[in-house]
Parts: sequence; C-alpha cells; structure tokens
Amino acid sequence: MKLFSSATRNWVKSFSVFLLLALTVGAAHLVAAQQKVSRHYPAGKNVRLELKNIAGTITVETWARDEIRVTATMDNRKVNFNPRQTDAGLVIDIAADNRGKVDVGDMNFKIELPARSSVDLETRSGQITVSNIQGDLVRAHIWTSGDITLSGINAARVFATNTTGDIYFDGEFSSGGTYEFKSGKGNITLRLPANCGFRLVATAPTKEIKMGPFWHPGMKLVSEGRRITGDVGDGRASVTVTNYQGTINFLRR
Amino acid sequence: MNCEQYQELLSDLVDGFGSGEDRNRIESHLSGCVACAEVRDDFVAIAGYCHEHRGEYDAVPNERALWLRISNTIEAENAVRAKESVPSGASSWFRLMNRSWQLSFGQLAVAVAAIVLVVSIATVASMKQLYSGGSNVRTAGPTIGTNNISLDDRYRQQKQAIAYWKDRVELNKARWNPEMRDTFDRNMTVIDTALNDSMKQLTQNPHDPVSEDILNDALNDKVALLKEFADL
Repeated sequence: MKLFSSATRNWVKSFSVFLLLALTVGAAHLVAAQQKVSRHYPAGKNVRLELKNIAGTITVETWARDEIRVTATMDNRKVNFNPRQTDAGLVIDIAADNRGKVDVGDMNFKIELPARSSVDLETRSGQITVSNIQGDLVRAHIWTSGDITLSGINAARVFATNTTGDIYFDGEFSSGGTYEFKSGKGNITLRLPANCGFRLVATAPTKEIKMGPFWHPGMKLVSEGRRITGDVGDGRASVTVTNYQGTINFLRR
Repeated sequence: MNCEQYQELLSDLVDGFGSGEDRNRIESHLSGCVACAEVRDDFVAIAGYCHEHRGEYDAVPNERALWLRISNTIEAENAVRAKESVPSGASSWFRLMNRSWQLSFGQLAVAVAAIVLVVSIATVASMKQLYSGGSNVRTAGPTIGTNNISLDDRYRQQKQAIAYWKDRVELNKARWNPEMRDTFDRNMTVIDTALNDSMKQLTQNPHDPVSEDILNDALNDKVALLKEFADL
C-alpha cells in the first residue's frame, strides 16, 4: 500500500469523518446528560451561606455585588436542588433534598457572593475552594476525600477538616480568632504573614511539623516532637492543627 | 348542694351575712331538713349567749404564769409518752435515735462547725493519699482525655456505638455506587490506621497525651463518619 495512494486517502477521509461524528455525538451526549442551573439571590453585605453537598466540587468566590449567584452543574438531571432563603442568608442542602435517592451523582457548585459573607460548606466527597472571604466564619468540611484550598481569607473563625486530602490556607489570623485544621491523611500547609500572632497546638504523629520562619526556642516539643505548642507573636489567635498521617507546614507570605 | 355545704353557710346566715339569694336558698333547705335546722339552732344559741354576756368574763390574774403551767404540763405528758414508747430492753442506739433533740442556736452552731471541720480533715487526708501513695489508683489503666475512664472502658463504650452504626451502614452499602463504596472504605481505613497506631503507642507509653488525643479524635471521627453514611 502506497502512503499517498487514493485508497489510503479515502481511508483517512472516512476515518476522519467517523471520528468527527463520534466526537460530536459524545459531546452532545455529555451536554445532554449534564444540567447547568444558575440562580441569583439578593443579599446584604454580611450574608451567610450554608451548603451541604453529597459529591462534587464547591468553589466560592467573592464579587462586588450585593447578591449571591449560585451556579450548579449536575450529572443527574433528576437531582432536587431547592435553595432556601433565610433571614441570615441562603441554605442549600442537597443531602436533605435528595434523601433516599440511590445515586445522585456529582453536583458541582460555583458560588459568588459579597466578600463580607460567612460560608459553611460541607460535602461527603469532592474539593472545596474558597477565595477572598472576609466575613466571620469559613467552615469547609469534607467527610471523606477531597482537597481544601482557602486563599485570601481574613475571617475570625476558620475550620477546615477532611479525612483524605490536602488542606491549604493562605490568609490572616484575627486577634482573638479561632482556627482549626484537621486532616486524616494529607498535607496541611498554612501560609501566613510574617507579623501574625497566634497560640499554636500542632499535632502530627509522623513528627513532620515544619514551623519554618515561625519557629523559635520558646516553643515546646511534646511527645518526642509529635506535638508542638507555643505562642507566635502576640499569641492572640488560637490555632489548632492536627494531622493523623501527614505533614504540617508553615510558610511565610 | 348537700347538708355539709349548707352547714358551712349557716354561720354567715346567723351572723347576718350572705346575699338575699343565699339566704332564701338556705331557709328553704332548713324548712325541709331537721339536722341542718338543729345545727342552725345551736349556732343561734351560741351567738345569742355571746351577745348577752359580752364583757362579763374576768381577766386572767397572771397570764404568763398560766402559759408556763400549760407548757410544763404538755412537756411532762410528752416525756411520759416517750418513756412508755421505749421498750425496757431497748439498746442505747435505739434510745439515742428516739430521743427528741432540742438545741439552742449556740449548740447548733458548734455542731455545724464540728461537722465542717471533720469533713475538711477527711478530704485533705484522702487527697494527700491519692497524690502521694495512691498512684496505683490512677495507673490502673491508661486514661483518655480529661475523664478518668480507662482506655479499655472507653474503647468498649465506643465500640458499641461503632458496631451499631456499622450495621446501619452495611445495610445501606449495597445500594451505593462502587465509587462511593470505595471512597468510604478507603477513608475508614485511614481512621482505623490512626486508631491502631495510637493504641500501639499507648501500649508502650500509657500516658502519652498525643496518643490519647489522637485516639479520642479518631474514635469520634469514626462514629461521626459512620453516622453520616448510615443515612445514605
């Protein structure tokens, strides 16, 4: 068979057409299977968002408008999605809305809201990403597997917990604030400004706690270095970091 | 209304109180009830006598002396009754317990102070014993967290909860998709590993605070995860 013979060209042409058709049908099928819903809700400056998902990613971003936009992409078109507006803000409970359903599939959320908001996010599996929240509370809880990324956070209370997956926090600690980070298996990284002050209890049975520039001789090693306690700066924020089987890293911004 | 209720109203009737309606109702009852009419007559007689002889009684010459005599008589009678109630062969404990105690304020204060003193001394003595020679009391088994329940007890308690929720999860697990089952099992293994590691550490060093905390946390995490997935 010659490389550029007419038979070869015909074969290539036929194959290309078939491939194009297959790709078009596949993409159409994927689009038809997924459903995208976008809703807007009026909100004050200090709004609270509660979201309890089953599986899928949650991405929270801030914007300059006094409203919340929820964009949900769902694998299963039959999933119930009924956000409830309350006096405090917005509640989305996919777990309760779909109780008893066998396979809900992934549901991916993108939420935009005012920067002064509080967010309370929970999912059984999937990633959680929160950016630039300046409100009172940021809570991100993954029951099983998934990474948590919190960046540009300046909240008085931050709680980030998962069983498997990394936790990354880039933000500031408020004086008198409470911060808890806990993972079963993953790496916990906290990136903080040089002048931040906090009282630390960091526990990692692997003994891999790297304090970086925040280490000083006044800090105390407990149980052969599996726990580090001590004050950094004015020590006014309370920080608890626990990792069963991974590392804890402190970085300076 | 029955006779008893009518008789309660009779006193007011005799004294001239009560509404006209009540008066008519009582009068009509009295006209047909001999017993109540007799009670009414008694009341009328007593009231009439009191009215007639008002101010005719003599004042008691020494009121205080009279009350003292009455009081002495009552106390003497009580003492006789108490003596009679104690059997002749009763033990001293029985006599002590059946004695009537009357203490002045001073006696009472001294008694309370004595009790407080004895209790304080006993408490201090037992605390000293606990912290010096009583270390064997606290090392009966490794303890977890702030409560002094032994490791085995705590683990046993949690095991019951874990077994319950595990059964619930297993019932529903067949309905989950394979991905969910795999994710759940993988994460349960992570928690179990933390549990086993901390148990191992505690066997070597029973009072290691980090292992105690990890064990506590991991147990709570396990129960919470099972609970969360039991509803699926």
